[in-house]
Amino acid sequence: MKKVCENWRDALPAGIWGPQHFEEFAARAASVAAEVIRVKTIAEIPDVLSQLVQNVSAKKIVMTENRYVKAAGLIDLFKSMQIETYTSGPDIRAHCDTADLGLSAVEFGIAETGSVCQDAYAVEDRLVSTLPPIHAVFLNSNYILPSIESAVEVFSNVFERGYLSLITGPSRTADIERVLTIGVHGPSRFIIIAVDEEVAGGEA
Amino acid sequence: MTANNRNIRQEIKEKLNDEVLRGALGRFAEAYPISRAKAYENVEDFEALREQIKQVKLATVANIEAVSDRFEAEATKRGAKVFRAKDGNALKEYLLNLCREKGVKRIVKSKSMASEEIHLNHDLEAAGLHVKETDLGEWIIALAGHKPSHMVMPAIHLNRQQVAEYFSKELQEDIPPEIPLMVQVARQTLREEFLQADMGISGANFGVAENGAIALFTNEGNARLATSVPRIHVVIIGYEKLIPTLKDAVPIMRTLPRNATAQLMTSYMTMISGTTPTMVKVCEEWVEQEKELHIILFDNGRLDAAKDEKFKEIYQCVRCASCLNVCPVYTLVGGHVYGHIYAGGIGAILTAFLNSMGDFEKINELCIGCRRCTEICPGKIQIPDLIEELRARAVKAHGLPASVKMVFENVLANRKVFHTLLRFASIGQKPFQSGRLIRHLPLFLAGMTKDRSLPAITDKPLRDRVAKLSRKPENPSKRIAFFAGCSTDFVFPEVGEAVYKVLQDLNMEVVFPEAQSCCGKPVLGMGDKETTKRIAKQNIEAFEAAQPDVILTACPTCTETWHITYADLFKDDPEWSSRAAALAAKTREFTSLVAEEYKKAGRLNKTGGGIKVTYHDSCHMKRALGIHEQPRKLLEAADGYELVEMKDCDKCCGMAGAFGVKYTDLSMPILKQKLANIKDTGTDLVAVACPACLMQIQGGLDKQLPNVKVKHVAEIIAENLDKKQE
Ligand code: SF4
Repeated sequence: MKKVCENWRDALPAGIWGPQHFEEFAARAASVAAEVIRVKTIAEIPDVLSQLVQNVSAKKIVMTENRYVKAAGLIDLFKSMQIETYTSGPDIRAHCDTADLGLSAVEFGIAETGSVCQDAYAVEDRLVSTLPPIHAVFLNSNYILPSIESAVEVFSNVFERGYLSLITGPSRTADIERVLTIGVHGPSRFIIIAVDEEVAGGEA
Repeated sequence: MTANNRNIRQEIKEKLNDEVLRGALGRFAEAYPISRAKAYENVEDFEALREQIKQVKLATVANIEAVSDRFEAEATKRGAKVFRAKDGNALKEYLLNLCREKGVKRIVKSKSMASEEIHLNHDLEAAGLHVKETDLGEWIIALAGHKPSHMVMPAIHLNRQQVAEYFSKELQEDIPPEIPLMVQVARQTLREEFLQADMGISGANFGVAENGAIALFTNEGNARLATSVPRIHVVIIGYEKLIPTLKDAVPIMRTLPRNATAQLMTSYMTMISGTTPTMVKVCEEWVEQEKELHIILFDNGRLDAAKDEKFKEIYQCVRCASCLNVCPVYTLVGGHVYGHIYAGGIGAILTAFLNSMGDFEKINELCIGCRRCTEICPGKIQIPDLIEELRARAVKAHGLPASVKMVFENVLANRKVFHTLLRFASIGQKPFQSGRLIRHLPLFLAGMTKDRSLPAITDKPLRDRVAKLSRKPENPSKRIAFFAGCSTDFVFPEVGEAVYKVLQDLNMEVVFPEAQSCCGKPVLGMGDKETTKRIAKQNIEAFEAAQPDVILTACPTCTETWHITYADLFKDDPEWSSRAAALAAKTREFTSLVAEEYKKAGRLNKTGGGIKVTYHDSCHMKRALGIHEQPRKLLEAADGYELVEMKDCDKCCGMAGAFGVKYTDLSMPILKQKLANIKDTGTDLVAVACPACLMQIQGGLDKQLPNVKVKHVAEIIAENLDKKQE
């Protein structure tokens, strides 16, 4: 899968990112209807996912094969739960529209706005994050930048070409009578699973 | 768009009677400033951000060729095809060829104002293509066959029942007017469109020269789908959206969502640089392919604007539409009366450049120059000044109507004739009984209207009273030449008397140069620069001869005219411009000078008291002169008075020069709002520091709140002096 940057952790500007911004990040994200679940270790991820899958009665999942998915053994988990799971590009394209849940990894969070940054160069990332009604992402809870300005500083260093997104809460509209309504073309639920433990490699 | 047979007054009337529209805009105008302020709670310095945007755009527009060359080169290097479209026809031809060549049949669009500018959908459909708008609001107005009535919320003029009707008609089934349900219907219907589309067309919020990237801010997610699912992506981006580097995007990213929708960030902010992979079906199999990316750099008048000393300012616009949200006129009538797709003051300007000057001339008077937009615009655009300049150019090109020209040249430019006429007016002589002539005079003595009475012209103007008022102190601290302005001279001479009293009490000598006339602003407001120059010269000569230390006015518009306008008028005439500049340096506004002197004398101390007074900020006083503390300080220092702030104290009262009389229908609802806010303060006295506001509010109070009085600040402190002397 293509990436704008192979190692986002190294691209974060030294000295200004860290878990000290997490609280503000989480509060801002929650205020725009993102759901934030924080866990300490990778080992807790399977539990979080199996609960989520049961809660929403997911039968079909599309996801990118990111490092969290691998480290937490999610492919096997979903298999054991007898959930259809698709991870290859062609399969994702064929099933993203009917999947109940999309799973992907994001690179860092921004405290100022409660946004997460997704390296979306790969089409798989864009499809799993936009078409299913629920999108859940993995984020390392240490990788939080304080501001838009610091995020753009990172982009300035690494964004040679490709596709980058800031995602801030679920899809929304206020186009009818200015009434805020969640879930238009994109997902109606946006869940951030923030993991304190570093996943080996640092690369997304 | 045939502009010239439009009946603007009729259209305005219809909009004012459109309950749905009035309700929606009224609620929005109330809610917007509050939610916007909340979105800025974690921004330290909005002023610094907008200054950055201004500087970035100024630097870009000065080098627009180089920046666009770089953008093109970098995007091309990354696999994009860049096409520069001179106008709508060139753009359409390119796009139709592309569709033909690539076998495109179905197109999804995410919002692009530039494409609406040239009615692109119409031509694509005429060529047999299936085109769908996917932004919910854009889809709704496409179904309704309407133009957008707001740049960010295109369907704000419709309510849920109306939307449900359009949906039901389109889908041939009964759709109930429930918003969440309708949103789901849109999701399902448009989802199919995305999945089947061959091409996605998007706009761009900015384009970055250093890496050829374009950025999109959306909430619904339609831009992500339109740029990811179909095999071809076409971006339509106007030259004004280009910026040199990614870092230059920071102030835009921080202000655009906050100003546009009161969000810290939109749900999706996407940046795309070069071609990216997509999945394409080949022989029934999905395979990954590089998506085709076409970027159309759209000119359509923008490059001409870039070369224009004044109008290059439109490059600073980031299309947040917040100038509409605070505009007293837009929030009454909505976007459709502005004729084309761009609404509000900035819309009038964009329409002039991107559509036609003819369209502009129909709507330019809808800017009342209140300058609220200038406080909020992230690009720091001075919209009212640009509109005034456009008016001047229109007059230069086509001249004024003969009757107006006659009045300006023969009456206003000749003080004696003008003043004689005013004296006749005071005794109700012709031609003041017919409204025709009067409409173009600065006092707009159009008589009574239903909700407001206009004051009578005095039978003894200030100029006839000054001899009695003047007393020369032994050692005057300053020599003041008082510029009264028409309203104070001929309608409110008692304000002038109060000014004399207050200044003489400060041991100043006050003189009244007899040869002074109208400041000329009403003439300039109509775009007649030449007559304004003649008037300006008379005033400059009169005040040079008086040899004052200070030129003082008690009217913010006159102050502004002396301060800025005169020097600006003569900028190509070194002799007169230096004479104007010398006097500009001496010009002071009444409350600011008196507050300064009182402070020096230790007289600016808050006193308690039983008389409650509220203060209305004149638009020009607050936003053009930056004076808002001084009059309040003076009121608080006046013995026995207590200041009570009113809601929206700095919102226009609806007078705004000629507007208040010419567009009574529009002026009255604005005045009514002001009166309601006055009433809510529970005070019996309103203080103003502007004769035009005095006239408007007095007229409204007379008819609607007869127990409440309005006075000029000068009158209140002069009365206070009288009390003390008793
Ligand atoms: S003129 Fe200023 S406030 Fe109006 S849309 Fe443009 S950037 Fe926004």
